[in-house]
Amino acid sequence: MHAVPQLAVSTLLLGGIYALIAVGLTLIFGVMRVVNFAHGEFLMLAMYLAFWSFALLGLDPYVTLVLALPVIFAGGWLSYRLVMGPVIQASHNVQIFTTVGLSIALQNLALVLWTADAQFIRTPYYAVVVRLGGAAFNLAQAVAFLVAVLATAALFAFLRWSYTGKVMRATAQDRQAASLMGIDTGRVYSLTWAVGVTCVGVAGVLLAPVYPVYPTAGLQFVLIAYVAVVLGGLGDMAGAVIASLIVATVEVVGSYVIGTAWKEVLYLLLFIAILLVRPAGLFGQRGAENIGV
Amino acid sequence: MAPALALFGFAALVPLVVRDAFFLDGLILILLWGSVAAAWNVAAGYAGQVSLGHSIFFGLGAYSAALMGTKWNVSPWIAMVVGAALATVMGFVIGFLSNRLRGPYFVLATIAFSQVFLIVGSRWRGFTSGSEGIPVPFRSGFWTLGLVDKRMWVYLMLALAIGLYLIQLYLERSRRGYQLAAVREDEDAALSLGVPARRLKVAAIAVSAALTSVCGTLWAQYVGFVDPFYVFSVDLSVRFALAAVTGGLGTALGPFLGAALITVLETYLRARFGGIGAGLVGIYLIIYGVALILIMRFAPQGLVPWLASLTGRRRVSRATGAAGVAS
Repeated sequence: MHAVPQLAVSTLLLGGIYALIAVGLTLIFGVMRVVNFAHGEFLMLAMYLAFWSFALLGLDPYVTLVLALPVIFAGGWLSYRLVMGPVIQASHNVQIFTTVGLSIALQNLALVLWTADAQFIRTPYYAVVVRLGGAAFNLAQAVAFLVAVLATAALFAFLRWSYTGKVMRATAQDRQAASLMGIDTGRVYSLTWAVGVTCVGVAGVLLAPVYPVYPTAGLQFVLIAYVAVVLGGLGDMAGAVIASLIVATVEVVGSYVIGTAWKEVLYLLLFIAILLVRPAGLFGQRGAENIGV
Repeated sequence: MAPALALFGFAALVPLVVRDAFFLDGLILILLWGSVAAAWNVAAGYAGQVSLGHSIFFGLGAYSAALMGTKWNVSPWIAMVVGAALATVMGFVIGFLSNRLRGPYFVLATIAFSQVFLIVGSRWRGFTSGSEGIPVPFRSGFWTLGLVDKRMWVYLMLALAIGLYLIQLYLERSRRGYQLAAVREDEDAALSLGVPARRLKVAAIAVSAALTSVCGTLWAQYVGFVDPFYVFSVDLSVRFALAAVTGGLGTALGPFLGAALITVLETYLRARFGGIGAGLVGIYLIIYGVALILIMRFAPQGLVPWLASLTGRRRVSRATGAAGVAS
């Protein structure tokens, strides 16, 4: 039983970051009905942003985070204008392959610009270990968790109380009715996309001091985000957060019990089991998977 | 029919004149990737089940050839049958499990399945040799599929391609095919008309899986090497989809046209940029990704319907709507 506090802390720290990635993905799906297959590539680009700010300018990733927010947001907005906007009225298939194309292009752009070698950020605090009760954890990971929680909370507050947030939720509920009420859905979509990309971008910068960055670095995290988002109910924000914690629990406890080599299989099997038993997720409307929304 | 006759006729005549290994190799790959894309098209284009996990079936075929050849000295022809049987079973399982899923849900499920295969293939070292991969044994002769002459490979792949073309043509013109099209366009409406939609969808995936596996066996035998990170990757599934989508989802000729275009483009870009520096090999994939985005934007139904609209002829396939119209 001595491992329980450690497992709990590890789960929480991991789950917080997963939640921020999953929330961005599920926001975009909820409002626009698009699964962004390039989500992981935005994460990877943000990690490189943090790496290069550190390597070239000597900026600490946490400073980068504040400075880079507008850049990441603008990048998200631009990618919507150039890539997603033109196909937003098209069929699912067209949108799926458009984001897949974006993912291939960005991944290989990173490969050409920065080679396949893994890069590390060595901040003075990267190896600082904090002991708390029976658990030990990495300081950078704890900071990442705290900022992720703050960012997720900020997003929830924004959606709940701000006018723009309400407009987004209205569009998510019924895009036709929303546009009849005078909502410019085109603007809502570009904003939603940019906000979703910013979420995953923040997560990327936060992960940079803890994990190595390479062109396919986004893949391992985004797969977890897909699992969390489907488990929570595609488009359900609170569901995504809770599901992220569940997935993190499976991963951490699974690694402890059966070893790290097979942990991915665990959550993938969990994913398949959810799709089989309750495809609409824990909280989602039953039958959503059937309409194909 | 006429363009298909011209294309396959050309492929049949080329080896009589050309001996250049590089050129023949390109032709073989076009026919092979076109065939895989056509097999993918059976599930995605005709039955409307866009899968990004088809590399599972390709990998099953490839690993059957490699494992049975190295471990038990079995002929690849037998391995092909075994692989196709395994793929059919997997196709049934995946098709059954994801039967109720549509749109993005289905895509995500297929990706999850293929990741499971990727992990098992790379971690089960005792059986698959893990990430090191397995060389496929080469033993000269037709029964062992050790063909030294590339022209023989051209005719073998051509037979495969024509077979897949005919299967697709059947799906376009037969009663079964019309039923599938009905399921693809509106499953609920099809169900209400008494079409066994659920069963047809599972059957389409199983058939598509078996055909993909056959292509996988031939590919493994031609290339001579199998490794899990290639044959079970999502990238490979995207590649199958790309050829079919570029050419025209749900058209019989589309996958072959798409494969031809992509293979030529890829070969050109590799030759153009590959030599500059090791880091620049990704350039052709950037162009690849951008091309996919542009095709989706400007010709979302693919080349075949687009060319047909250019020439002003309406005699394309009746199943062309899959990419652009259905949603």
